[in-house]
Amino acid sequence: MNWRLAALKNGFKDYTAYRVEFLMEILGNAIVPAAIQWVLWYAIFKTDGATELAGMTYVQMLHYTLVSVLFNQVRGGDQDFELAEMIRTGQLSNYLIRPVGLIQFIYIRGVASKLLISALSLAIGIVLSVSVLSSEASPLRMIGAMLLALLGNVIHFQIGAVLSAMAFRWEDAYGLLMVKNMAVSILSGELLPLNLFPESMSWIWKSTPFYLYVFGPAQYALGEWTHLEFVRQLGVAFLWIFVLWVLIRFTWGLGIKKYVSLGG
Amino acid sequence: MIERLKLYARIYAIQLKNNWVRETVYRANFVTAVGVDIVWILVEVSLFAVIYSNVPSIAGWTKYQVYFFLGIFFTSDALFTVFFQRNFFNFSDLVNKGELDILLTKPVHPLFLALSRWINLTAIFTISMGLMIAVHYAPQAGFAGGMRWALVLFWMFIGVISAILLRFAFAVWIFWTDRNWALVRLYYQFFAFASKPDAIYPKVIRYLILTFIPFAFIGSVPARALLHGLELWEYLALVLVLLGFFILNTILWRRGLRRYQSASS
Repeated sequence: MNWRLAALKNGFKDYTAYRVEFLMEILGNAIVPAAIQWVLWYAIFKTDGATELAGMTYVQMLHYTLVSVLFNQVRGGDQDFELAEMIRTGQLSNYLIRPVGLIQFIYIRGVASKLLISALSLAIGIVLSVSVLSSEASPLRMIGAMLLALLGNVIHFQIGAVLSAMAFRWEDAYGLLMVKNMAVSILSGELLPLNLFPESMSWIWKSTPFYLYVFGPAQYALGEWTHLEFVRQLGVAFLWIFVLWVLIRFTWGLGIKKYVSLGG
Repeated sequence: MIERLKLYARIYAIQLKNNWVRETVYRANFVTAVGVDIVWILVEVSLFAVIYSNVPSIAGWTKYQVYFFLGIFFTSDALFTVFFQRNFFNFSDLVNKGELDILLTKPVHPLFLALSRWINLTAIFTISMGLMIAVHYAPQAGFAGGMRWALVLFWMFIGVISAILLRFAFAVWIFWTDRNWALVRLYYQFFAFASKPDAIYPKVIRYLILTFIPFAFIGSVPARALLHGLELWEYLALVLVLLGFFILNTILWRRGLRRYQSASS
Protein backbone atom coordinates (compact mmCIF):
# COMPACT_ATOMS: atom_id res chain seq x y z
CA MET A 1 0.00 0.00 0.00
CA ASN A 2 2.89 2.35 0.86
CA TRP A 3 4.34 2.43 -2.62
CA ARG A 4 0.93 3.34 -4.02
CA LEU A 5 0.64 6.34 -1.72
CA ALA A 6 4.21 7.33 -2.51
CA ALA A 7 3.52 7.06 -6.27
CA LEU A 8 0.41 9.21 -5.85
CA LYS A 9 2.34 11.81 -3.89
CA ASN A 10 5.17 11.89 -6.43
CA GLY A 11 2.71 12.19 -9.29
CA PHE A 12 1.03 15.10 -7.61
CA LYS A 13 4.38 16.84 -7.04
CA ASP A 14 5.33 16.27 -10.69
CA TYR A 15 2.22 17.98 -11.97
CA THR A 16 2.23 20.89 -9.56
CA ALA A 17 5.95 21.64 -9.90
CA TYR A 18 5.12 24.02 -12.74
CA ARG A 19 2.06 25.66 -11.24
CA VAL A 20 1.43 28.21 -13.98
CA GLU A 21 1.48 25.47 -16.61
CA PHE A 22 -0.76 23.28 -14.47
CA LEU A 23 -3.33 26.08 -14.17
CA MET A 24 -3.07 27.01 -17.85
CA GLU A 25 -3.66 23.39 -18.80
CA ILE A 26 -6.80 23.19 -16.66
CA LEU A 27 -8.11 26.50 -18.00
CA GLY A 28 -7.24 25.65 -21.60
CA ASN A 29 -8.89 22.24 -21.33
CA ALA A 30 -12.01 23.79 -19.88
CA ILE A 31 -12.53 27.06 -21.68
CA VAL A 32 -11.74 26.19 -25.28
CA PRO A 33 -13.90 23.02 -25.63
CA ALA A 34 -16.73 24.86 -23.85
CA ALA A 35 -16.37 27.84 -26.17
CA ILE A 36 -16.36 25.60 -29.26
CA GLN A 37 -19.55 23.85 -28.12
CA TRP A 38 -21.18 27.13 -27.18
CA VAL A 39 -20.51 28.80 -30.55
CA LEU A 40 -22.08 25.85 -32.34
CA TRP A 41 -25.23 26.08 -30.23
CA TYR A 42 -25.19 29.87 -30.56
CA ALA A 43 -25.05 29.62 -34.36
CA ILE A 44 -27.84 27.05 -34.53
CA PHE A 45 -30.20 28.54 -31.95
CA LYS A 46 -29.48 32.27 -31.99
CA THR A 47 -28.25 32.93 -35.52
CA ASP A 48 -30.43 30.41 -37.34
CA GLY A 49 -33.36 30.63 -34.92
CA ALA A 50 -33.79 26.90 -34.19
CA THR A 51 -35.84 26.16 -31.08
CA GLU A 52 -34.81 22.55 -30.57
CA LEU A 53 -31.97 20.24 -31.55
CA ALA A 54 -32.48 16.50 -31.09
CA GLY A 55 -35.11 17.34 -28.46
CA MET A 56 -32.81 19.72 -26.57
CA THR A 57 -33.37 23.45 -26.14
CA TYR A 58 -30.63 26.12 -26.17
CA VAL A 59 -30.59 26.21 -22.34
CA GLN A 60 -30.36 22.44 -22.11
CA MET A 61 -27.46 22.50 -24.57
CA LEU A 62 -25.67 25.09 -22.47
CA HIS A 63 -26.23 23.04 -19.33
CA TYR A 64 -24.80 20.01 -21.11
CA THR A 65 -21.79 22.08 -22.20
CA LEU A 66 -21.15 23.33 -18.67
CA VAL A 67 -21.39 19.90 -17.08
CA SER A 68 -19.52 18.04 -19.84
CA VAL A 69 -16.56 20.40 -19.41
CA LEU A 70 -16.31 19.32 -15.74
CA PHE A 71 -16.22 15.62 -16.59
CA ASN A 72 -13.96 16.21 -19.56
CA GLN A 73 -11.30 17.41 -17.11
CA VAL A 74 -11.32 13.99 -15.44
CA ARG A 75 -11.15 11.81 -18.54
CA GLY A 76 -7.97 10.39 -19.91
CA GLY A 77 -4.34 11.07 -19.23
CA ASP A 78 -1.05 10.42 -21.00
CA GLN A 79 0.11 7.44 -18.95
CA ASP A 80 -0.57 5.01 -21.81
CA PHE A 81 1.83 6.95 -24.03
CA GLU A 82 4.37 6.69 -21.21
CA LEU A 83 3.96 2.90 -21.11
CA ALA A 84 4.43 2.57 -24.88
CA GLU A 85 7.51 4.79 -24.78
CA MET A 86 9.01 2.75 -21.94
CA ILE A 87 8.63 -0.44 -23.98
CA ARG A 88 10.00 1.18 -27.12
CA THR A 89 13.09 2.61 -25.46
CA GLY A 90 13.80 -0.25 -23.08
CA GLN A 91 13.26 1.88 -19.96
CA LEU A 92 10.71 -0.72 -18.89
CA SER A 93 13.59 -2.78 -17.45
CA ASN A 94 14.13 -0.20 -14.67
CA TYR A 95 10.60 -0.83 -13.47
CA LEU A 96 10.52 -4.60 -13.87
CA ILE A 97 13.12 -5.04 -11.14
CA ARG A 98 11.15 -2.94 -8.65
CA PRO A 99 8.73 -4.55 -6.17
CA VAL A 100 5.72 -2.74 -7.66
CA GLY A 101 3.00 -3.61 -10.14
CA LEU A 102 4.26 -1.69 -13.16
CA ILE A 103 0.92 -0.83 -14.79
CA GLN A 104 -0.64 0.12 -11.46
CA PHE A 105 2.40 2.24 -10.61
CA ILE A 106 2.26 4.21 -13.88
CA TYR A 107 -1.50 4.69 -13.55
CA ILE A 108 -1.41 5.85 -9.93
CA ARG A 109 1.44 8.27 -10.56
CA GLY A 110 -0.41 9.76 -13.54
CA VAL A 111 -3.85 9.89 -11.96
CA ALA A 112 -2.75 12.17 -9.10
CA SER A 113 -3.45 15.36 -11.03
CA LYS A 114 -6.80 14.02 -12.22
CA LEU A 115 -7.87 13.36 -8.63
CA LEU A 116 -7.15 16.96 -7.71
CA ILE A 117 -8.98 18.21 -10.81
CA SER A 118 -11.93 15.90 -10.15
CA ALA A 119 -12.25 17.30 -6.59
CA LEU A 120 -12.25 20.84 -8.00
CA SER A 121 -14.72 19.89 -10.74
CA LEU A 122 -16.97 18.20 -8.20
CA ALA A 123 -17.02 21.31 -6.01
CA ILE A 124 -17.92 23.47 -9.04
CA GLY A 125 -20.49 20.88 -10.14
CA ILE A 126 -22.19 20.87 -6.75
CA VAL A 127 -22.45 24.67 -6.79
CA LEU A 128 -23.86 24.53 -10.35
CA SER A 129 -26.36 21.82 -9.39
CA VAL A 130 -27.93 23.99 -6.69
CA SER A 131 -27.78 27.25 -8.61
CA VAL A 132 -27.64 27.20 -12.42
CA LEU A 133 -28.77 23.73 -13.50
CA SER A 134 -32.35 22.45 -13.75
CA SER A 135 -34.29 21.17 -10.74
CA GLU A 136 -33.53 17.53 -11.69
CA ALA A 137 -29.85 18.10 -10.92
CA SER A 138 -28.63 17.67 -7.35
CA PRO A 139 -25.34 17.43 -5.40
CA LEU A 140 -25.96 13.70 -4.89
CA ARG A 141 -26.31 13.15 -8.63
CA MET A 142 -23.15 15.19 -9.19
CA ILE A 143 -21.20 12.97 -6.79
CA GLY A 144 -22.50 9.83 -8.53
CA ALA A 145 -21.69 11.29 -11.93
CA MET A 146 -18.13 12.11 -10.83
CA LEU A 147 -17.72 8.52 -9.62
CA LEU A 148 -18.75 7.29 -13.08
CA ALA A 149 -16.32 9.76 -14.70
CA LEU A 150 -13.49 8.40 -12.50
CA LEU A 151 -14.36 4.85 -13.53
CA GLY A 152 -14.21 6.16 -17.10
CA ASN A 153 -10.70 7.40 -16.37
CA VAL A 154 -9.69 3.90 -15.25
CA ILE A 155 -11.23 2.35 -18.39
CA HIS A 156 -9.45 4.89 -20.60
CA PHE A 157 -6.09 3.99 -19.08
CA GLN A 158 -6.81 0.26 -19.32
CA ILE A 159 -7.60 0.54 -23.03
CA GLY A 160 -4.40 2.53 -23.45
CA ALA A 161 -2.41 -0.10 -21.55
CA VAL A 162 -3.75 -2.88 -23.82
CA LEU A 163 -2.93 -0.85 -26.94
CA SER A 164 0.50 0.16 -25.65
CA ALA A 165 1.36 -3.56 -25.38
CA MET A 166 1.48 -3.41 -29.18
CA ALA A 167 4.84 -1.71 -28.69
CA PHE A 168 6.26 -5.13 -27.73
CA ARG A 169 5.64 -6.31 -31.28
CA TRP A 170 5.63 -3.12 -33.33
CA GLU A 171 8.20 -0.36 -33.38
CA ASP A 172 5.64 2.19 -32.24
CA ALA A 173 2.21 2.08 -30.60
CA TYR A 174 1.98 5.88 -30.66
CA GLY A 175 -0.34 5.93 -33.68
CA LEU A 176 -2.78 3.48 -32.14
CA LEU A 177 -3.01 5.56 -28.97
CA MET A 178 -3.56 8.72 -31.01
CA VAL A 179 -6.34 7.04 -32.99
CA LYS A 180 -7.93 5.92 -29.72
CA ASN A 181 -7.80 9.48 -28.35
CA MET A 182 -9.34 10.90 -31.51
CA ALA A 183 -12.17 8.36 -31.40
CA VAL A 184 -12.69 9.26 -27.74
CA SER A 185 -12.98 12.97 -28.55
CA ILE A 186 -16.12 12.42 -30.60
CA LEU A 187 -17.55 9.25 -28.99
CA SER A 188 -17.22 10.37 -25.37
CA GLY A 189 -19.61 13.30 -25.71
CA GLU A 190 -16.83 15.83 -25.23
CA LEU A 191 -17.61 17.68 -28.47
CA LEU A 192 -21.38 17.25 -28.56
CA PRO A 193 -24.17 15.34 -26.78
CA LEU A 194 -24.28 11.83 -28.19
CA ASN A 195 -28.08 11.92 -28.60
CA LEU A 196 -27.40 14.17 -31.60
CA PHE A 197 -26.23 11.06 -33.45
CA PRO A 198 -28.97 9.79 -35.80
CA GLU A 199 -30.71 6.70 -34.38
CA SER A 200 -29.25 4.55 -37.17
CA MET A 201 -25.73 5.50 -36.06
CA SER A 202 -26.19 5.41 -32.29
CA TRP A 203 -24.80 1.85 -32.14
CA ILE A 204 -21.38 3.34 -32.83
CA TRP A 205 -21.09 5.15 -29.50
CA LYS A 206 -23.16 2.59 -27.58
CA SER A 207 -20.76 -0.21 -28.49
CA THR A 208 -17.71 1.48 -26.93
CA PRO A 209 -17.18 2.42 -23.26
CA PHE A 210 -16.19 5.97 -24.23
CA TYR A 211 -19.65 7.39 -23.47
CA LEU A 212 -18.99 6.56 -19.81
CA TYR A 213 -16.30 9.27 -19.70
CA VAL A 214 -18.35 12.41 -20.36
CA PHE A 215 -21.80 11.80 -21.87
CA GLY A 216 -22.90 9.25 -19.24
CA PRO A 217 -21.85 11.31 -16.21
CA ALA A 218 -23.42 14.42 -17.79
CA GLN A 219 -26.70 12.59 -18.40
CA TYR A 220 -26.89 11.47 -14.78
CA ALA A 221 -25.83 14.83 -13.37
CA LEU A 222 -28.48 16.63 -15.45
CA GLY A 223 -31.21 14.23 -14.36
CA GLU A 224 -31.60 12.64 -17.80
CA TRP A 225 -30.83 9.17 -16.43
CA THR A 226 -32.83 7.58 -13.63
CA HIS A 227 -31.01 6.23 -10.58
CA LEU A 228 -31.72 2.72 -11.84
CA GLU A 229 -30.12 3.53 -15.22
CA PHE A 230 -27.13 4.98 -13.38
CA VAL A 231 -26.68 1.77 -11.36
CA ARG A 232 -26.95 -0.23 -14.59
CA GLN A 233 -24.26 1.94 -16.20
CA LEU A 234 -22.04 1.51 -13.13
CA GLY A 235 -22.38 -2.23 -13.69
CA VAL A 236 -21.43 -1.75 -17.35
CA ALA A 237 -18.37 0.26 -16.27
CA PHE A 238 -17.22 -2.44 -13.82
CA LEU A 239 -17.75 -5.08 -16.49
CA TRP A 240 -15.51 -3.12 -18.89
CA ILE A 241 -12.92 -2.74 -16.13
CA PHE A 242 -12.93 -6.50 -15.53
CA VAL A 243 -12.71 -7.42 -19.23
CA LEU A 244 -9.92 -4.92 -19.81
CA TRP A 245 -8.06 -6.15 -16.70
CA VAL A 246 -8.10 -9.67 -18.22
CA LEU A 247 -6.94 -8.23 -21.56
CA ILE A 248 -4.07 -6.33 -19.91
CA ARG A 249 -2.85 -9.49 -18.18
CA PHE A 250 -3.07 -11.39 -21.47
CA THR A 251 -1.40 -8.81 -23.74
CA TRP A 252 1.32 -7.84 -21.27
CA GLY A 253 1.92 -11.50 -20.37
CA LEU A 254 2.58 -12.23 -24.03
CA GLY A 255 4.50 -9.01 -24.57
CA ILE A 256 6.89 -9.43 -21.64
CA LYS A 257 7.93 -12.83 -23.02
CA LYS A 258 9.03 -11.11 -26.21
CA TYR A 259 10.67 -8.14 -24.47
CA VAL A 260 14.47 -8.04 -24.84
CA SER A 261 15.22 -5.02 -22.65
CA LEU A 262 16.69 -3.09 -25.56
CA GLY A 263 13.20 -2.09 -26.58
CA GLY A 264 10.02 -3.81 -27.77
CA MET B 1 21.39 37.79 -54.18
CA ILE B 2 21.01 34.96 -56.69
CA GLU B 3 24.01 33.21 -55.13
CA ARG B 4 22.40 33.49 -51.67
CA LEU B 5 19.16 32.03 -52.98
CA LYS B 6 21.08 29.20 -54.60
CA LEU B 7 22.82 28.50 -51.29
CA TYR B 8 19.48 28.37 -49.45
CA ALA B 9 18.00 26.11 -52.15
CA ARG B 10 20.99 23.78 -51.92
CA ILE B 11 20.70 23.54 -48.14
CA TYR B 12 16.97 22.87 -48.39
CA ALA B 13 17.54 20.13 -50.98
CA ILE B 14 19.94 18.44 -48.55
CA GLN B 15 17.43 18.72 -45.69
CA LEU B 16 14.76 17.23 -47.97
CA LYS B 17 17.00 14.31 -48.89
CA ASN B 18 17.88 13.61 -45.24
CA ASN B 19 14.22 13.65 -44.26
CA TRP B 20 13.29 11.34 -47.11
CA VAL B 21 15.91 8.83 -45.98
CA ARG B 22 14.63 9.02 -42.38
CA GLU B 23 11.00 8.48 -43.44
CA THR B 24 11.86 5.46 -45.55
CA VAL B 25 13.75 3.87 -42.65
CA TYR B 26 10.72 4.05 -40.32
CA ARG B 27 8.11 2.57 -42.67
CA ALA B 28 5.73 1.41 -39.93
CA ASN B 29 5.77 4.91 -38.52
CA PHE B 30 4.86 6.24 -41.97
CA VAL B 31 1.81 3.93 -42.18
CA THR B 32 0.77 4.82 -38.62
CA ALA B 33 1.03 8.55 -39.25
CA VAL B 34 -1.11 8.26 -42.38
CA GLY B 35 -3.68 6.25 -40.36
CA VAL B 36 -3.74 8.91 -37.63
CA ASP B 37 -4.32 11.65 -40.20
CA ILE B 38 -7.18 9.71 -41.82
CA VAL B 39 -8.87 9.23 -38.44
CA TRP B 40 -8.42 12.93 -37.60
CA ILE B 41 -10.11 13.88 -40.89
CA LEU B 42 -12.90 11.38 -40.20
CA VAL B 43 -13.50 12.80 -36.71
CA GLU B 44 -13.72 16.39 -37.97
CA VAL B 45 -16.03 15.43 -40.83
CA SER B 46 -18.16 13.22 -38.54
CA LEU B 47 -18.66 16.07 -36.09
CA PHE B 48 -20.34 18.15 -38.78
CA ALA B 49 -22.10 15.13 -40.31
CA VAL B 50 -23.78 14.49 -36.94
CA ILE B 51 -24.82 18.13 -36.53
CA TYR B 52 -26.09 18.38 -40.11
CA SER B 53 -28.18 15.26 -39.57
CA ASN B 54 -30.24 17.52 -37.26
CA VAL B 55 -30.15 20.92 -39.02
CA PRO B 56 -30.08 22.03 -42.70
CA SER B 57 -27.52 24.82 -42.18
CA ILE B 58 -25.32 26.48 -39.55
CA ALA B 59 -25.13 30.28 -39.69
CA GLY B 60 -26.06 30.11 -43.36
CA TRP B 61 -23.41 27.50 -44.21
CA THR B 62 -24.74 24.35 -45.84
CA LYS B 63 -23.27 20.91 -45.24
CA TYR B 64 -21.42 20.98 -48.57
CA GLN B 65 -19.97 24.43 -47.96
CA VAL B 66 -18.63 23.26 -44.61
CA TYR B 67 -17.12 20.14 -46.21
CA PHE B 68 -15.47 22.36 -48.85
CA PHE B 69 -14.11 24.53 -46.02
CA LEU B 70 -12.82 21.40 -44.26
CA GLY B 71 -11.03 20.32 -47.45
CA ILE B 72 -9.29 23.69 -47.71
CA PHE B 73 -8.50 23.69 -43.98
CA PHE B 74 -7.04 20.15 -44.04
CA THR B 75 -4.87 21.03 -47.04
CA SER B 76 -3.61 24.27 -45.56
CA ASP B 77 -2.91 22.65 -42.19
CA ALA B 78 -1.21 19.63 -43.80
CA LEU B 79 1.10 21.93 -45.78
CA PHE B 80 2.14 23.52 -42.49
CA THR B 81 2.57 20.06 -40.95
CA VAL B 82 4.78 18.85 -43.80
CA PHE B 83 7.20 21.75 -43.77
CA PHE B 84 7.10 23.36 -40.33
CA GLN B 85 5.31 21.50 -37.53
CA ARG B 86 8.20 19.29 -36.35
CA ASN B 87 10.56 22.25 -36.45
CA PHE B 88 8.31 24.17 -34.10
CA PHE B 89 8.06 21.14 -31.78
CA ASN B 90 11.86 21.10 -31.57
CA PHE B 91 12.22 24.87 -31.32
CA SER B 92 12.10 24.93 -27.51
CA ASP B 93 14.90 22.34 -27.34
CA LEU B 94 17.07 24.52 -29.54
CA VAL B 95 16.86 27.30 -26.98
CA ASN B 96 16.69 25.29 -23.75
CA LYS B 97 19.53 22.93 -24.56
CA GLY B 98 21.68 25.56 -26.20
CA GLU B 99 21.48 23.83 -29.58
CA LEU B 100 20.80 27.18 -31.18
CA ASP B 101 24.53 27.96 -30.77
CA ILE B 102 25.51 25.87 -33.73
CA LEU B 103 22.84 27.44 -35.95
CA LEU B 104 24.02 30.94 -35.03
CA THR B 105 27.49 30.15 -36.35
CA LYS B 106 26.30 29.07 -39.81
CA PRO B 107 26.48 31.42 -42.82
CA VAL B 108 22.69 31.39 -43.32
CA HIS B 109 19.86 32.85 -41.25
CA PRO B 110 19.48 30.75 -38.07
CA LEU B 111 15.69 30.80 -38.37
CA PHE B 112 15.91 29.27 -41.83
CA LEU B 113 17.87 26.35 -40.40
CA ALA B 114 15.69 26.12 -37.30
CA LEU B 115 12.46 25.97 -39.29
CA SER B 116 13.53 23.87 -42.26
CA ARG B 117 15.46 21.02 -40.66
CA TRP B 118 12.57 18.61 -40.15
CA ILE B 119 10.12 17.79 -42.92
CA ASN B 120 7.16 15.51 -42.22
CA LEU B 121 6.66 13.77 -45.55
CA THR B 122 3.84 11.54 -44.27
CA ALA B 123 1.48 14.53 -44.14
CA ILE B 124 1.69 14.81 -47.94
CA PHE B 125 -1.03 12.18 -47.94
CA THR B 126 -3.25 14.53 -45.90
CA ILE B 127 -2.68 17.30 -48.44
CA SER B 128 -4.08 15.05 -51.15
CA MET B 129 -6.98 13.97 -48.91
CA GLY B 130 -7.84 17.62 -48.19
CA LEU B 131 -7.68 18.56 -51.85
CA MET B 132 -9.87 15.59 -52.80
CA ILE B 133 -12.50 16.64 -50.26
CA ALA B 134 -12.44 20.24 -51.53
CA VAL B 135 -12.64 19.18 -55.18
CA HIS B 136 -15.41 16.65 -54.48
CA TYR B 137 -17.68 19.08 -52.65
CA ALA B 138 -16.79 22.23 -54.66
CA PRO B 139 -19.75 22.07 -57.12
CA GLN B 140 -22.37 21.42 -54.41
CA ALA B 141 -20.81 24.13 -52.23
CA GLY B 142 -21.30 26.65 -55.04
CA PHE B 143 -17.62 27.15 -55.90
CA ALA B 144 -17.42 28.65 -59.38
CA GLY B 145 -14.42 26.48 -60.38
CA GLY B 146 -12.58 27.04 -63.69
CA MET B 147 -9.80 29.59 -63.38
CA ARG B 148 -10.73 30.20 -59.75
CA TRP B 149 -8.93 26.96 -58.85
CA ALA B 150 -5.72 28.90 -59.42
CA LEU B 151 -6.72 31.07 -56.47
CA VAL B 152 -6.62 28.00 -54.23
CA LEU B 153 -2.82 28.10 -54.45
CA PHE B 154 -2.75 31.73 -53.34
CA TRP B 155 -5.08 31.08 -50.41
CA MET B 156 -3.13 27.99 -49.38
CA PHE B 157 -0.07 30.22 -49.24
CA ILE B 158 -1.96 32.70 -47.02
CA GLY B 159 -3.12 29.83 -44.79
CA VAL B 160 0.41 28.46 -44.30
CA ILE B 161 1.94 31.93 -43.73
CA SER B 162 -0.73 32.64 -41.10
CA ALA B 163 -0.03 29.34 -39.34
CA ILE B 164 3.73 30.00 -39.32
CA LEU B 165 3.35 33.52 -37.92
CA LEU B 166 0.89 32.38 -35.26
CA ARG B 167 2.88 29.33 -34.22
CA PHE B 168 6.04 31.38 -34.02
CA ALA B 169 4.29 33.98 -31.86
CA PHE B 170 3.50 31.19 -29.38
CA ALA B 171 6.93 29.52 -29.64
CA VAL B 172 9.23 32.51 -29.34
CA TRP B 173 8.45 33.01 -25.62
CA ILE B 174 10.78 30.12 -24.87
CA PHE B 175 13.53 32.73 -24.54
CA TRP B 176 11.77 34.08 -21.46
CA THR B 177 10.21 30.94 -19.92
CA ASP B 178 11.68 27.75 -18.45
CA ARG B 179 9.62 25.64 -20.80
CA ASN B 180 6.78 26.68 -23.05
CA TRP B 181 4.85 23.42 -23.05
CA ALA B 182 1.73 25.18 -21.69
CA LEU B 183 1.88 27.83 -24.42
CA VAL B 184 2.24 25.18 -27.10
CA ARG B 185 -0.76 23.39 -25.64
CA LEU B 186 -2.66 26.66 -25.60
CA TYR B 187 -1.86 27.13 -29.29
CA TYR B 188 -3.43 23.76 -30.06
CA GLN B 189 -6.43 24.57 -27.86
CA PHE B 190 -6.99 27.79 -29.82
CA PHE B 191 -6.34 25.89 -33.03
CA ALA B 192 -9.76 24.29 -32.54
CA PHE B 193 -11.20 27.68 -33.54
CA ALA B 194 -9.53 27.28 -36.93
CA SER B 195 -11.39 24.05 -37.63
CA LYS B 196 -14.81 25.76 -37.89
CA PRO B 197 -15.97 28.39 -40.41
CA ASP B 198 -15.55 31.85 -38.84
CA ALA B 199 -19.10 32.79 -39.88
CA ILE B 200 -20.55 30.62 -37.11
CA TYR B 201 -18.80 32.52 -34.31
CA PRO B 202 -20.42 35.33 -32.33
CA LYS B 203 -19.06 38.80 -33.14
CA VAL B 204 -16.51 39.06 -30.32
CA ILE B 205 -14.88 35.68 -30.98
CA ARG B 206 -15.00 36.28 -34.71
CA TYR B 207 -13.25 39.62 -34.25
CA LEU B 208 -10.56 37.95 -32.12
CA ILE B 209 -9.85 35.14 -34.59
CA LEU B 210 -9.63 37.68 -37.41
CA THR B 211 -7.26 40.02 -35.58
CA PHE B 212 -5.36 39.25 -32.35
CA ILE B 213 -5.32 35.47 -32.73
CA PRO B 214 -5.99 35.12 -36.47
CA PHE B 215 -6.69 31.38 -36.61
CA ALA B 216 -9.46 32.09 -39.15
CA PHE B 217 -6.78 32.90 -41.75
CA ILE B 218 -5.62 29.27 -41.82
CA GLY B 219 -8.67 27.79 -43.49
CA SER B 220 -11.87 29.69 -42.87
CA VAL B 221 -11.05 33.00 -44.57
CA PRO B 222 -9.47 31.22 -47.58
CA ALA B 223 -12.57 29.02 -47.98
CA ARG B 224 -14.91 32.00 -47.62
CA ALA B 225 -12.84 34.01 -50.11
CA LEU B 226 -13.00 31.15 -52.62
CA LEU B 227 -16.73 30.61 -52.16
CA HIS B 228 -18.10 34.13 -51.78
CA GLY B 229 -15.16 36.54 -52.08
CA LEU B 230 -14.15 38.97 -49.32
CA GLU B 231 -15.06 42.59 -48.76
CA LEU B 232 -12.36 45.23 -49.37
CA TRP B 233 -11.83 45.91 -45.66
CA GLU B 234 -11.27 42.21 -45.08
CA TYR B 235 -8.40 42.11 -47.59
CA LEU B 236 -6.95 45.17 -45.90
CA ALA B 237 -7.35 43.62 -42.45
CA LEU B 238 -5.68 40.43 -43.67
CA VAL B 239 -2.61 42.31 -44.89
CA LEU B 240 -2.39 44.49 -41.78
CA VAL B 241 -2.78 41.60 -39.33
CA LEU B 242 -0.20 39.40 -41.05
CA LEU B 243 2.20 42.34 -41.34
CA GLY B 244 1.62 43.16 -37.66
CA PHE B 245 2.42 39.59 -36.64
CA PHE B 246 5.53 39.57 -38.82
CA ILE B 247 6.84 42.76 -37.18
CA LEU B 248 5.96 41.52 -33.68
CA ASN B 249 7.67 38.17 -34.28
CA THR B 250 10.78 39.88 -35.67
CA ILE B 251 11.04 42.13 -32.60
CA LEU B 252 10.51 39.21 -30.20
CA TRP B 253 13.05 37.04 -32.03
CA ARG B 254 15.72 39.77 -31.91
CA ARG B 255 15.07 40.51 -28.24
CA GLY B 256 15.02 36.80 -27.51
CA LEU B 257 18.40 36.36 -29.19
CA ARG B 258 19.80 39.17 -27.07
CA ARG B 259 18.57 37.35 -23.97
CA TYR B 260 19.79 33.94 -25.14
CA GLN B 261 22.65 32.63 -23.04
CA SER B 262 23.32 29.28 -24.66
CA ALA B 263 22.39 26.34 -22.40
CA SER B 264 21.50 28.57 -19.50
CA SER B 265 18.83 30.50 -21.42
